[in-house]
Amino acid sequence: MSHHDVIVIGSGPAGLACGAELAEMGLDTLVLDEQMYPGGQIYRNVESTSAAQLDFFGEDYSRGRSLVKRFRKSQAAYKGGASVWQVEADGQVCYSCNDESHHVTANYVVIATGAMERPVPIPGWTLPGVLGAGAANNLSKEAGLAPQGEVVLCGCGPLLLLEASLLVKKGVRVKAILETASPVPSLAALKHLPRALLRTDFLLKGVKLLYDLKKSKVPHLQGVSKVKAIGTDRVEKVECYHKGQKVTYDAEMLLLHFGVIPNTHIMRQVGCELQWDSLLRYWHPVCDEWGRTNHERVFVAGDGSYVSGAIAAELKGELAATELAHKLGVLSVKERDDRALPIRKKLQADKHPRPFIDAMYAPPADQFAFEDDTVVCRCENVNVGTIREAIRQGAHDANEIKIITRAGMGPCQGRMCGPALNEILAHELAATPDTVGYLNIRPPLKGVPLGEIAAMSFTGASGPADLFKNQK
Amino acid sequence: MFKHDSSPSTQSVTVLLDGCHKTLPAGMSVAAALLSCGEIISRVSQTSKKPCSPHCLMGVCYECLMEIDGHKRQACMTEVAEGMVINRYLSSEEDAE
Repeated sequence: MSHHDVIVIGSGPAGLACGAELAEMGLDTLVLDEQMYPGGQIYRNVESTSAAQLDFFGEDYSRGRSLVKRFRKSQAAYKGGASVWQVEADGQVCYSCNDESHHVTANYVVIATGAMERPVPIPGWTLPGVLGAGAANNLSKEAGLAPQGEVVLCGCGPLLLLEASLLVKKGVRVKAILETASPVPSLAALKHLPRALLRTDFLLKGVKLLYDLKKSKVPHLQGVSKVKAIGTDRVEKVECYHKGQKVTYDAEMLLLHFGVIPNTHIMRQVGCELQWDSLLRYWHPVCDEWGRTNHERVFVAGDGSYVSGAIAAELKGELAATELAHKLGVLSVKERDDRALPIRKKLQADKHPRPFIDAMYAPPADQFAFEDDTVVCRCENVNVGTIREAIRQGAHDANEIKIITRAGMGPCQGRMCGPALNEILAHELAATPDTVGYLNIRPPLKGVPLGEIAAMSFTGASGPADLFKNQK
Repeated sequence: MFKHDSSPSTQSVTVLLDGCHKTLPAGMSVAAALLSCGEIISRVSQTSKKPCSPHCLMGVCYECLMEIDGHKRQACMTEVAEGMVINRYLSSEEDAE
């Protein structure tokens, strides 16, 4: 039970930068992090990792170390292992930590929940041994684990290729890389190439990555379709079609990656206005230049607002902090703008290659052409056919489909099936995902035992509700 | 399914996994610690009745949900600790609740 100037949710690059910046200006800042240690996904375990790991992941990872150091040095209060399960637009936050739930309040809330891998259902993706490529990356950073046995990677986007190159570098037996994107960049992508060339350093990194992959002689198939994981108790084979031919690989592990999308779960629960990006095919919050959402007290920073990578996330975190410091009376308008100017310049420079990369790796439309027997909702075991049948029978809203089929009702609360459900519904109705509605996201955002909620004490609450007040 | 690619954690903890003592590396999540010693099955899905393994390792998918010290928790978001009691209920359809 406490009140803060600002509560920041998440401690990836955006949350860390925002939290540190605010605390350095003397503002009472509480950072709630679902993970046990600061760093988010990209800088996972960066504080206590070995020198060898820092060296292996290179500068993109090690820069997180100085950021976390700066954050720890600041007076920001950090709470790891804290799962936020409710946020209200007036600054109330409920979270669970060590079997206890707490109710805290703040003048402002910054949602810095970052991005997550886009879940794209394929046949057999529920088999043990099918993981997200990000999962392999996390296990490596967190626990120094590398896949054993033959691995196939499948999906699209630059991070798929990055993960493949890291695994190859580690000596993991990568059997094949199956890319669903076509090998020829679209005209739309080429249009953005000149701007991207302003950042040759960034592009050269990509070229080197592709060169290393080529040199490794790992089969790299582009434009594959109908990818399927096959096995009885776990994945044994991966099948796909390439240039009209069926190709099959034996594999003990299949790593999927179909790009990353903003993790908007909390924003939906608070009631932030979201917008559909038709090129990248994801939802992102509508915010102003500082990250303020339609709710005056709720800000969004980092990849959660729009996916633009770790460096941009850090800068967006700083921008939000600058505006919050102004709102909280620490910075004047001029001081705020003076501080924001260099940040915006850096952000602009960092963004140069983005339109090109985004257009180049935009999710191909046929990626969402699902087969009827593919499981969409992993928790409730609901397949595409069941959802299509519900739509045919007249359920034309995501929440109706949820009630009829149970898709989105399991423990993950629609995190894994929501995006696909949205795509399927739009496709069946010959509409776009933004016009067909999304699952309502309600508290508790994470499973919390009722006993924990019952034991909570609420800030500002006047005591137990008087149930019989009307009869007195 | 996984191997240590750097020198494994020197510290370890002993937990009670499905009723048996098991030594796991310390300093990582329950999910990572179990994967590191070949325990790839995290639970049996109550709906499909089929075994699952952790999928996202970042708190999104809930495939690593298991009973840890009496509560249903995401194993990838829980740090492994000495004396932890972990139940996955793999052999029967009996559930934690």
